[in-house]
Amino acid sequence: MIKVNHLKKSFGKNEVLKDINEEFNQGEVVVVIGPSGSGKSTFLRCLNLLEEPSDGEIVFEGTPLTGLKEKELNQLRQKMGMVFQQFNLFPHKTAKENLTIAPVKSKGVNVNEANHKASQLLQQVGLGDKEEAYPANLSGGQQQRVAIARALAMKPDVMLFDEPTSALDPEMVGEVLKVMKDLAQSGMTMVVVTHEMGFAREVADRVLFMDNGSIVEQGTPEEIFSNPKNERTQDFLSKVL
Amino acid sequence: MKKRLIGFITLLLMLTGLGLAPDQANAEDGSALQRIQDAGVLVVGTSADFPPFEFYAVVDGERRVVGMDIMIAEQIADDLGVELQIQDIGFDSLLPALEARNVDVVIAGMTPTAERRRSVDFSDIYFETFQNLMVRAEDQEVFDSIESLRGQRIGVQSGSLQEGLAEQIPDAEIMSLTDLSDLLLALRTNRIDAMVMQGPNAEAHAGHDDSLHTFVGDFDLEDDDAGSAIAFRQGEDSLVEAVNETLSYIAEENLTEEFLAVAGEYMAQAELDEEGEEIEESFISSYWEYFRDGTLITLLISASAVFFGLVLGSLLALMRLSNKFLIRPLATAYIEFVRGTPLLIQVMFIYFASGMLFNLPALTAGIIAVSLNSGAYIAEIIRGGINSVNTGQEEASRSLGMSKKQAMRYIIFPQALKNIWPALGNEFITIIKESSIVSVIGVGELIFQTRVVRSISFQGILPLFVTMLIYFALTFSLTKLLNYYEGSMNHD
Ligand SMILES: Nc1ncnc2c1ncn2[C@@H]1O[C@H](COP(=O)(O)OP(=O)(O)OP(=O)(O)O)[C@@H](O)[C@H]1O
Ligand SMILES: [Mg+2]
Repeated sequence: MIKVNHLKKSFGKNEVLKDINEEFNQGEVVVVIGPSGSGKSTFLRCLNLLEEPSDGEIVFEGTPLTGLKEKELNQLRQKMGMVFQQFNLFPHKTAKENLTIAPVKSKGVNVNEANHKASQLLQQVGLGDKEEAYPANLSGGQQQRVAIARALAMKPDVMLFDEPTSALDPEMVGEVLKVMKDLAQSGMTMVVVTHEMGFAREVADRVLFMDNGSIVEQGTPEEIFSNPKNERTQDFLSKVL
Repeated sequence: MKKRLIGFITLLLMLTGLGLAPDQANAEDGSALQRIQDAGVLVVGTSADFPPFEFYAVVDGERRVVGMDIMIAEQIADDLGVELQIQDIGFDSLLPALEARNVDVVIAGMTPTAERRRSVDFSDIYFETFQNLMVRAEDQEVFDSIESLRGQRIGVQSGSLQEGLAEQIPDAEIMSLTDLSDLLLALRTNRIDAMVMQGPNAEAHAGHDDSLHTFVGDFDLEDDDAGSAIAFRQGEDSLVEAVNETLSYIAEENLTEEFLAVAGEYMAQAELDEEGEEIEESFISSYWEYFRDGTLITLLISASAVFFGLVLGSLLALMRLSNKFLIRPLATAYIEFVRGTPLLIQVMFIYFASGMLFNLPALTAGIIAVSLNSGAYIAEIIRGGINSVNTGQEEASRSLGMSKKQAMRYIIFPQALKNIWPALGNEFITIIKESSIVSVIGVGELIFQTRVVRSISFQGILPLFVTMLIYFALTFSLTKLLNYYEGSMNHD
């Protein structure tokens, strides 16, 4: 579904991603772990070209994204939902409007249909009663669930998560992870950067360990967590587990 | 990109055109008369705060500029067979307006001094005048000659003939102001001790105010300084000749006396009602139309400047945030230049410079200048607002497949607007207040009308107070309105 060939990314002289080759398949749930500053976010953001790769290629559903025209890129981005650590909800829009604005304005979905879909998605993430609430009046956990619903409203083929629970108070982490688990069970293709090792163990099909701009080791959760081969993986896991 | 370049070249051409136009004027000798007759209208510049020569009065229920000069202008227009159009401009700006072709001739009780002759031509003298001294009535025993005023504080209108005459008063401390009403007020309130004024004008004022006393000053006058004449652009001899013919007819028939008598009636009429009875009307009911008209024009200028300023400001802000070649530096240069030069000069530049190419009405020129000016300030406010919106908002929009434009329009701009609302409000209030600067090119906004009321009501302070209240009412209601909308944008 997404193929990454020789991806490199530098900020000035700082080489953040060093020749990454990887492939994400239909229906797969992949969790990316690694120390702070290792390039996880940058990697994820390169997948939908929020960061422009310095070199290499991202191929999404057979189309190379790099070098695409603005308009075609926008259309392909509609199929790649993204959830941010800081939620990034639109504060001047209600929960429901957050879900309808992009489908209506950039996909041309009709308003009634978008509203109907929005209600259904908010229901699905347990916020059926918050349609008219503004983000400022929602808790962090609720905001992040709206953000997930917002990405789903575009009916994406893949969902990218960048540390979706890191900014939350501990008592709210569970409700967001629950929504993500449900999503995984429904067969959604997911790439998740997270420090929630429990979630990785339970839900992931595959775990990637990144360090210093490279994918150092990968395997099933079983292999990575119980039997890490690389020294740096062992070191990292000993600190977080 | 190409369009922009063409625009830039046009601008350059316009600027160089400024230097060319006066030469063309010299070259068209003989055709000036023809040109006016072809146009069918004679545009006369004057400064209507100078009774009995030119001032405002209500004629048949309509407010108009009247006075001796205007009657002379009517006679000239009749003889030329064209319509007459009067443009009321500040005295200081009359000759620039003439040279910039905003008007065809200037008739404003103007004395043809040697200095003025260097930049314009004059007709024959149409009115021999005398120069007066004006003092407070209680001082009339003490001050009765130039010598008696030795070392006193003397007020004169800046740029006037009287400014030069005042120097004949030994050791005088001279105060020059643009506005005669301000000088009269200064005299009444003991800020100055005497004024040098053109004779009939001084008599008109003293006749309306018992606290003032005027007498003919014993000045040494040069021949040129003894009368009033009509000013023309240099080289338009055919027009000067035609006008001189009319003037000599007026002199033969001794029409000026008749004209002055009519002007005197208009001046007296200000205090009489339709039946000819003297009435004590309240200040507001006599002059409220001036204030109303001024307020409406001020509102029109401000509203247009806010609207066009917002459009231009948004455009400039987007240009400044763009990465495209040349676009950003162009916007930056515009903003820096406009913010780095005084609005007063911008207003005069646009009015006078445009006068050389096509005839832009003063009001339009004023609106354009204030809009171009506020656009630069609003651009900076908007840019700040856009930068204040968290980059996460754009990323979220883009990750949903919105285009850059859509993200800007639906997500970033509305949030920026909320952040900058108070700063925008300040700018709008500034526009209301600063729009008064266009009074220098004769636009009849509130400050201009205040000046008119001060000169025809012979009141110095009350009109200022009324105007202050009107400005406050305008800005205060605007503040309330903006607060209301701010509340409705608040979702926190
Ligand atoms: N826009 C940017 N400009 C310059 N440097 C950047 C930028 N974004 C990231 N970096 C640098 O790239 C490196 C990798 O950052 P990245 O955010 O991808 O790490 P991460 O693995 O997601 O870390 P964390 O767990 O803290 O989120 C860091 O050294 C960071 O300073
Ligand atoms: Mg990160």
